[in-house]
Amino acid sequence: MAMDFRKINIDQYDEDKLLEEELYEPDPRDPETVLAEAKQKAAGVRGFISKGDIVGALSSILENAPYGPKVDDAKIITLQSLLLILNSTKPVDIPAIIKALPSDAHDTLMKYLYKAMAMPGYADVNSGALLTWHEKVRTYT
Amino acid sequence: MAAPEAYTIAQVPLVAHSFSPDRSAIALSTNSNEASIYARDGYEWQPISTLAQHDKLVTSIDWAPTTDRIVTCAQDRNAYVWTKEADPSNPSQIVWKPTLVVLKINRAATQVRWSPLENKFAVASGARSICVCSFDEEMNWWASKQLKKPIRSTVLSIDWHPNNVLLAAGSADMKARVFSTFLKEIDKKPPANVWGDKFPWNTVCGEYNSPGGGWVHAVGFSPSGDALAFAGHDSTITIVYPAAPAVITLKGTNLPYLTLTWTAEDALVAAGHDCQPVLFSGIPAGWKAICSLDDANGPRSSSFASSASTPRSATGPGGGGGPPVGRLNNAAFNRFREADSRGTSSIPGTPSSPGGSGLFGGSPTSGVGGDKELLTIHQNTITSVRPYEWGPNGNVTKVSTTGVDGKLVLWPVSTSGGLAPKMMIR
Repeated sequence: MAMDFRKINIDQYDEDKLLEEELYEPDPRDPETVLAEAKQKAAGVRGFISKGDIVGALSSILENAPYGPKVDDAKIITLQSLLLILNSTKPVDIPAIIKALPSDAHDTLMKYLYKAMAMPGYADVNSGALLTWHEKVRTYT
Repeated sequence: MAAPEAYTIAQVPLVAHSFSPDRSAIALSTNSNEASIYARDGYEWQPISTLAQHDKLVTSIDWAPTTDRIVTCAQDRNAYVWTKEADPSNPSQIVWKPTLVVLKINRAATQVRWSPLENKFAVASGARSICVCSFDEEMNWWASKQLKKPIRSTVLSIDWHPNNVLLAAGSADMKARVFSTFLKEIDKKPPANVWGDKFPWNTVCGEYNSPGGGWVHAVGFSPSGDALAFAGHDSTITIVYPAAPAVITLKGTNLPYLTLTWTAEDALVAAGHDCQPVLFSGIPAGWKAICSLDDANGPRSSSFASSASTPRSATGPGGGGGPPVGRLNNAAFNRFREADSRGTSSIPGTPSSPGGSGLFGGSPTSGVGGDKELLTIHQNTITSVRPYEWGPNGNVTKVSTTGVDGKLVLWPVSTSGGLAPKMMIR
């Protein structure tokens, strides 16, 4: 069709086009390290939860969270551990826990909440818990 | 402390504004490809001129205070410099004559600002470049030179350093940068300062990231040029002191700021999607938000509708043309005026009549409830904040804001540099 030329994305052919990687500082750790770290933290989180230390669990999983390309496995593992923590917390305790976390952790937590909300049927995603956490983080900040 | 003066100029968003040197006139972009000049007429603003030359939306206007020239830029990839001339057919009138500036950009221009000495101006554009234009006497035209590296996306805002050479730029690639725009035909070599000692063309004297990764909507140098502030879409304001060196980040819990201006060496006013200007103050050791300039409980001047835009403005007793003082200037009066002009009321116990009552049954706002209004003076995002008036010590005492709601508001700012607690004066 003659009109299809309008649908061509000409920017993809631009030599100087902006790549997503240019917009942020790349993670200095290499993908294997990130994956190993994520697995280690996942194991640690189970320990924290059994001791009842939710703040410790959240701080460890949200700190230095994996980002960027090539670390999708690490991101999934981190998400699963985080969901475990969120589901094991009693709603009553949530405000106190949020208060105890540093503000950078709040931002990372929000990002994971949205990531989980985008996968409603996945594994242990409990939408009710996600919405409760979302509301509490929002009203705290 | 005086109350803010609010004027409803248009029923369309005001994208950009710039006052004339004596503040008797204002050049505005009314979300169209024409820029208009309004002059103050008592308590109203009347349109007196139209600058119609652009083919697309006028994105930015700047009125040079000393040389009295206006520069406009638009999404049509052009900029025009307008100079005043006597109208040949009617010598007592002035006409604005446009001169095209060939920018050679292939995307829209987003912002334009005259340099402090008004011999250059910079145009930020979506072509990932900044055009620095200067007047070439020999060819009798404005020549433009582009700053390209290392900008990776649209430049959203620019601000000049007092030395007429350094330029700060905030961009959609989440970075704020300081460039040198040294042109050997125009500029004298600037003395070394906190930003560096050598400034050849296109030197990047500093590059700063937006902390949470957001477009940098606004940048501003402090009055001395020794500090740089920028506001990002991640709701942060960052202040950089290269001399200290210190980078202070203020993470806000409110909506992002789109525009900012320094009022003193230690204070700045930022405004944006929260619809109210906020005063920040601090020193290299630390900064914080002091207060909003829009105090919902304080005395307010009634909004004045420009008669050109709202033919059926509320002309109840003293409502449209009286001075903003006394018993006519309070919340109770405004409530009754709302009930009369809009046919709705927020007074408990009174039935609201969405059909409008009496004189103003056909008003375009009938049916909009009083409680749909925001508590701030601006009813929508503030697009631009600029200094309006200076005090004897050189600090800004008033700022002007325009917004997507078509309002122009003049706000008084605490004169003692922002550190004096503004709340106590009420």
